[in-house]
Amino acid sequence: MADLKAQIIEQLNLHEVAPESIGDDQPLFSKEGLGLDSIDALELIVLLQQHYNIRIANPEEGPKIFQSVRTMAEYITANQTIKA
Amino acid sequence: MNIYINGTGCISPQDTAQGGPLLAAPREYEQVRLATVDPDYKQWIDVKQIRRMSRVVKMGVAAANLSLEAAGITLPDAIITGTAYGCLDDTGVFLTKMVNQQEEMLTPTAFIQSTHNTVAGQIALLLGCNGYNNTFVHRGFSFENALLDAIMILKEGTAKHILAGGMDEITNYSHQVLSRFGIYKKAPVKTMELLNSPDTGTIAGEGAAFFALGITKDPGTAAELTGVSTLYKPLWEGEVIGHIMKFLEDHHCTPADIDLLVTGRNGDIDQDEMYEEVAAALFPDHAEASFKHLCGEYPTAAAFGLWMANAIIAEQAVPEAAVFYGHAPQKINRILLYNHHQGTHHSFVLLTAC
Repeated sequence: MADLKAQIIEQLNLHEVAPESIGDDQPLFSKEGLGLDSIDALELIVLLQQHYNIRIANPEEGPKIFQSVRTMAEYITANQTIKA
Repeated sequence: MNIYINGTGCISPQDTAQGGPLLAAPREYEQVRLATVDPDYKQWIDVKQIRRMSRVVKMGVAAANLSLEAAGITLPDAIITGTAYGCLDDTGVFLTKMVNQQEEMLTPTAFIQSTHNTVAGQIALLLGCNGYNNTFVHRGFSFENALLDAIMILKEGTAKHILAGGMDEITNYSHQVLSRFGIYKKAPVKTMELLNSPDTGTIAGEGAAFFALGITKDPGTAAELTGVSTLYKPLWEGEVIGHIMKFLEDHHCTPADIDLLVTGRNGDIDQDEMYEEVAAALFPDHAEASFKHLCGEYPTAAAFGLWMANAIIAEQAVPEAAVFYGHAPQKINRILLYNHHQGTHHSFVLLTAC
């Protein structure tokens, strides 16, 4: 998950945020969390494609996948397992 | 109807963002590419928003905020900008990704920030300004046309306060491309010696300058924006001289009424010849100040020149670093700013002390 946090910071230009300051279960899109917006959602979709070759087939899954770093990591693990 | 400059803001290769006396401690460089002295942009822009902004957006937003603060305005009626190159950095990022990623998996951020009107748009978003918002992309006339638009709107009476400005940035890509045209000096030159340079080429610059314009003057207002005029591709110096005479006549004055000539000399011996001809013909005994050795050459550099001219009127003194020739009179009432960009885009701005 540390790698994923670093990738998120790079992709979203969050260079003032330290990877360790992002909690595994911290909400990504709420004001209490990282406060990301819809443009960031598109950036995260591209991140999954570029780094993990994962395309999100059903857009309705987005809010669930991008809830936190942990849910993203779980989705990546599950989909990479399926590919293997 | 008179139009007043009620507030100014400038981000440039000099310490222009911090306030204080004009060019009290001028920065001297020995290079062919000048970069802006960046203030802490977080004082104007939220951390979450700043991450998506390229340098030109940040410098534009900062200069705009400085000018509004100086004028005591929180919400202008209109925002008008001029930029020749626009958001070059994000354009470069987006195009590079298009090539490297075979036009796939392109992210939206660089694309949406790459348009020329991003700066004016971001200022409007941050201020919550839903008024007229326009950006002029007319090479060496971009800033001047933004000013002309602002003047026309103020004279029409549809706005009382207008934020107008000009900005351009240099990127590694743009500097490489422009260098191929032979625009810049081949070897580094000391900026304070640039204007006496015996050869061709100049130094690259960048920056943003904004002006809060209004139809009423405030207690802190120093100058009236009396007139703006442009002349495209004059055939010879006589056409420029005739244009200036007509411009001054239109504003009921003659060269004798001008207290200080501010020129856009840039150290290129060929391009500076026009300033020599004009000064010799119309202003042989006038004091002359220059500004491109302080900010570098770029298509909207006249915005820095206007910012400096306004500050000279406010302080009633020409800083030593800006003096090119002579001594300005004790009372600086009228300044003529004459700039040309690459010999094709000639502009004239007349300022009168309030």
